Amino acid sequence: MFPTNHKTIFVLDHTPYFGISSDNPIDFDVAKSRGPGYVPLPPVCKSLWTCSVEAAVEYCRIVWDLFPEGKLVRFVVSDSSAHILNTWATTQQNITHILNGLCLVGPVRRGAGGDVVGLCAAIEGLAESSPTQATRPPPERHFQNRGRIICITSARDDDSIRSLAEIALNTLVQQNKKASTPQPPTTGDATTSSQNLVVHYCHLVIINVTPEKADTRVNNQPVTEMGGGLMSVEVIVCRASALASLLGRLVLPHYKLAITTVTGIPMKEEQNASSSANYDVEIIHSAEAHAGLRATQTAQEATESVVLRWWTPRGAEGGAGGCNGPLWRVTPADVASRPSACLVNFLLNGRSVTLEVPRKGGGRSASHVLAAQGGELWIGALGGRTPYDDPPALSEGAGGRVTDYRIKEFGALMQQNKLHPLRGAGSNARSRARLQRHTTYWPLTISSTLIFNLGSVMEPLTRLVVQESLTEEEVDSCRGVLLSLLGMESRHEFPSAQLPSNLRGKSSGRREEQWRQVWGELEALIRAHSASPAHRALLRTLLECRSHNNHGAEGDSSRATVIRATTDSPLSPVGAGNGNGSSDVWAPRNVLDALLGAPRPPRRPDFAGRMAAGSRVATLYPHLQQDVEAPH
Amino acid sequence: MPTVILLDVSLSMSRPVPTTDTTETHTRFTLATAAINTFLDYLCIHAKLEYVTLVTFSSVYEVAVPFTREFDNIRVKLPLLDDGDKTCIETALHGVNQLILNEWGYQTPVQIILITDGSSGVGAIGRNRIIQALPLPPTYPGKIHVLPIVSPHDSSLQHAMPLYQKIVDLACNSSNNSNGNITRGAIYSPDQLNVPGVVAAMTRLCEQHYQEFWCTLKCGQLETRVQLFPAPQPASHEGLSASYTLSSQLHVIGFLQQQDLGTPIAISKHLVIPQAQIGSNTTPRENYGSKTPTKEGSSTEGTSTEDDSSDPSKVSNFCVLLHGALKVEGMSAIVQLGSDWWGTLSAWCEVSRARRSCLLLSILRPGASAAPWLGPLDQLGPVEENTTSTDTFPVRSWRSYSGGGSGCAWARPHALLADVQKVLRHARKLPDKTQHLYKELNRLRRAAISLGFAELLTCVGSALERECTALPTSAPPECALQLAHAAAALRDPRTALDIKHTLQPLATNFTVTSMSH
Repeated sequence: MFPTNHKTIFVLDHTPYFGISSDNPIDFDVAKSRGPGYVPLPPVCKSLWTCSVEAAVEYCRIVWDLFPEGKLVRFVVSDSSAHILNTWATTQQNITHILNGLCLVGPVRRGAGGDVVGLCAAIEGLAESSPTQATRPPPERHFQNRGRIICITSARDDDSIRSLAEIALNTLVQQNKKASTPQPPTTGDATTSSQNLVVHYCHLVIINVTPEKADTRVNNQPVTEMGGGLMSVEVIVCRASALASLLGRLVLPHYKLAITTVTGIPMKEEQNASSSANYDVEIIHSAEAHAGLRATQTAQEATESVVLRWWTPRGAEGGAGGCNGPLWRVTPADVASRPSACLVNFLLNGRSVTLEVPRKGGGRSASHVLAAQGGELWIGALGGRTPYDDPPALSEGAGGRVTDYRIKEFGALMQQNKLHPLRGAGSNARSRARLQRHTTYWPLTISSTLIFNLGSVMEPLTRLVVQESLTEEEVDSCRGVLLSLLGMESRHEFPSAQLPSNLRGKSSGRREEQWRQVWGELEALIRAHSASPAHRALLRTLLECRSHNNHGAEGDSSRATVIRATTDSPLSPVGAGNGNGSSDVWAPRNVLDALLGAPRPPRRPDFAGRMAAGSRVATLYPHLQQDVEAPH
Repeated sequence: MPTVILLDVSLSMSRPVPTTDTTETHTRFTLATAAINTFLDYLCIHAKLEYVTLVTFSSVYEVAVPFTREFDNIRVKLPLLDDGDKTCIETALHGVNQLILNEWGYQTPVQIILITDGSSGVGAIGRNRIIQALPLPPTYPGKIHVLPIVSPHDSSLQHAMPLYQKIVDLACNSSNNSNGNITRGAIYSPDQLNVPGVVAAMTRLCEQHYQEFWCTLKCGQLETRVQLFPAPQPASHEGLSASYTLSSQLHVIGFLQQQDLGTPIAISKHLVIPQAQIGSNTTPRENYGSKTPTKEGSSTEGTSTEDDSSDPSKVSNFCVLLHGALKVEGMSAIVQLGSDWWGTLSAWCEVSRARRSCLLLSILRPGASAAPWLGPLDQLGPVEENTTSTDTFPVRSWRSYSGGGSGCAWARPHALLADVQKVLRHARKLPDKTQHLYKELNRLRRAAISLGFAELLTCVGSALERECTALPTSAPPECALQLAHAAAALRDPRTALDIKHTLQPLATNFTVTSMSH
């Protein structure tokens, strides 16, 4: 479950010997000399310490660039004591933390000390559980705890290396013995979780570093097992100047990585913008990205490095979207080089690049795609059919021949239910609850609904009612919608008159039936949301409205009162319901009261002539004279 | 998963099967034909979209029918196959590997059904030699099932069994099975050597490995029953602590713009095929309209009302609506697949068939960090209307691709050289670049201190002094002073190697005086 590369510890020798020069001069005066009298600068040599630090840091950079989590690296600096620069904690797993620690350690100082103390500290470090290992409950702690120690040191001869390895093995055995003895029962749960783990396997890589011209009596040793498979030791002899490239090579098998050379990247020169030169950039990524290439290669071809040619992107084609398989993170092998920086910036700016296998015989075949996502670089392998290609047409499946889906409205719903990166738990649940509310009454097609097609007439009711709670004003504006509908109905208008012209023809049918549908749908909509008190108040209003208009012949009279009570148009008669005290035995009521209050008992409709006359004395037979004159 | 039917046509397959029934005579080959027809019948009902190929082999192999969804092509071909000579499994598997890599690449999981005569055709030594020569595990993920057409008590089967077991075991050890989500194949021996026997064995195979996957897609209260094709496999691999199995309800939790979503790493992709709602007419919520007078009264569609309920394509389905809206809005839906597991739903369009679009489910790696640029997936949520969210996509990672941002990737000399040249370029452009010079110097110092590279600072100090001596006479006096100050500061043993110390430009009032001249 936990591979060896889950935990890696670097042990850096910080003894005085590492203060000596690597004897690999770097000349800064590369530019042509600037006339006579110009004193050339003396070349600079890095110390062995500088060489080992920068190589180890570069190793970490590659690991952490490609594995933001799950691959942990620690540093132990060893001189007279072991300086532990970081723990397995995620917050300390980054280069800045390491560099700050190295600043505090400082350059090599005089004094005694050696690599042994650091190596022992590193072995103890392997026994400490990583954050993911610590999350395992004790009964599941049967996982293999493995790790790797890379010790950069300099020894006199093979014997001292051998004794170093033996000390490491002894420490490991002793430590495992301690870890496997059961804890005294008195210790509580808190201590058992921090209890050291048994180390099941340790891969010890000893790198023996020497200055450029110094002789060494240490020889390379292939991986040898010690302690019955508990530890395997490997010794590599290396010049300080080659240390960085050695670790750059070692990181590949340690993390199953591979290098691709992207060749033929056209780049414009600053000095000569009209032409472009071609550059190569090496990128590192999981070796799995090459599986497709390797699968069809012979054993001989498979040992060669992978070179892929840049395929200049044309238009919008390509991109990681065309890649059906997995993507793997990518990091440049040489971050500091100009071509690498150009490629990285090109990708980070949102372009993507297709890579092809260079073919001698011509003919192109795209093999990989490079793209950035979320500020990280990725490589994906192209090619191969997918088992889901040539899908059945959606139009032939279930629901495929229905043409009036409310696609635009669902689009609006999707926009309202867009996800954002939030903090804290329960975000998903909140989002699902919101979707639940928004879809409680949601007809799929245009022809199955009237109220959602009425547009402005229903605003803002349809928008507000899906909210979790309603304010007083929101309830009022929803009531306003209901009342205006009631008004429309009383004026014998067709609800379909409000439909966009292209829909009007479709929802024909009798007026009463249309209104019945409107009220029915409204009830379904509001009832579905009647969780909060405000929603229930709205529902009561709606039920009032329905009870006023759903009664056929027997309720004609009461209907008339409601109509009068609720219509407010200048054309409507000034009548009994409208505050005319002399003609109405009932106290005047405003619209809201009329709707919310108990329905008044049915009463005889007032004399039409008096209603028309208002406050004046009603005239009897006003048309009598006209009727007489008309035939003439 | 595409399927290869690898059919043995060696001479031994034409041996007649002993039977008491005299009306019908069967050979092992006709039994195999019956098994294949059973298989195709099963697919017709449960997995119409599966691609199947028929490969025959004896000492040579031949692709009788290339990968197709037209299963009838295979049925028609079966009686027309020629007899071969002897069974040679390793050659056949070689050919199959090549066929699959050419057609499907190395990422698509494949199933192979090996139908053979139940005899390895060689002795114990020869059998072990075949095992050695098997071209397994393949470079693509896959599994192999073996269906030996032989009586269970036949001694040749006992002899061939280790070979079959080895084939089955090796097939799923693929190096490319990184997702580990392929279960292994099996050997399906018929109980008896007759038609019902082989049909039963094949049916067992189908039921175990060609199960269609049904689930319910829910978006709030809207839901529909869908089939996922190809059927998703449980996810379990090295980095995961547990095995994840897709739940039978997929919940949409919200939506994202396509460009925000990008293309997260999917462990598999599946078509989402809507199924007819059974009894959906009884739920008034979904089909309110069908009960209202609107439809009944409509004169134009009045006649078709009867068909509407019987033809599923004319009953509205949420899946079709979702697909249309996702396509129009250019959005994708985030779907919860189980606990701590997410996927994305998008309208997907094959490049070659631009007009045929469908709903595609991408299953992400289990865990909340499957798409780092979206942040933790369990923390995706809605923003209330009156609050403004400061967080937007993409959630940036801290990675900078420049050696941790501190510029100490000096393992290669050219990088160090470039940084030193940059300092010197600024030094030659004083006094305009004073601030730049000190900024670069402090960056260089910081890197040099962490690497213990004091030699570099001494060297840069001398270089600045040399620039000072090389100044033209016309240069303002401030230049010389700043260069001397910087050079001295770099070599001052008290401050140069102190990380907390920051080099500051020399405070001068020369600019003022030189202008007053």
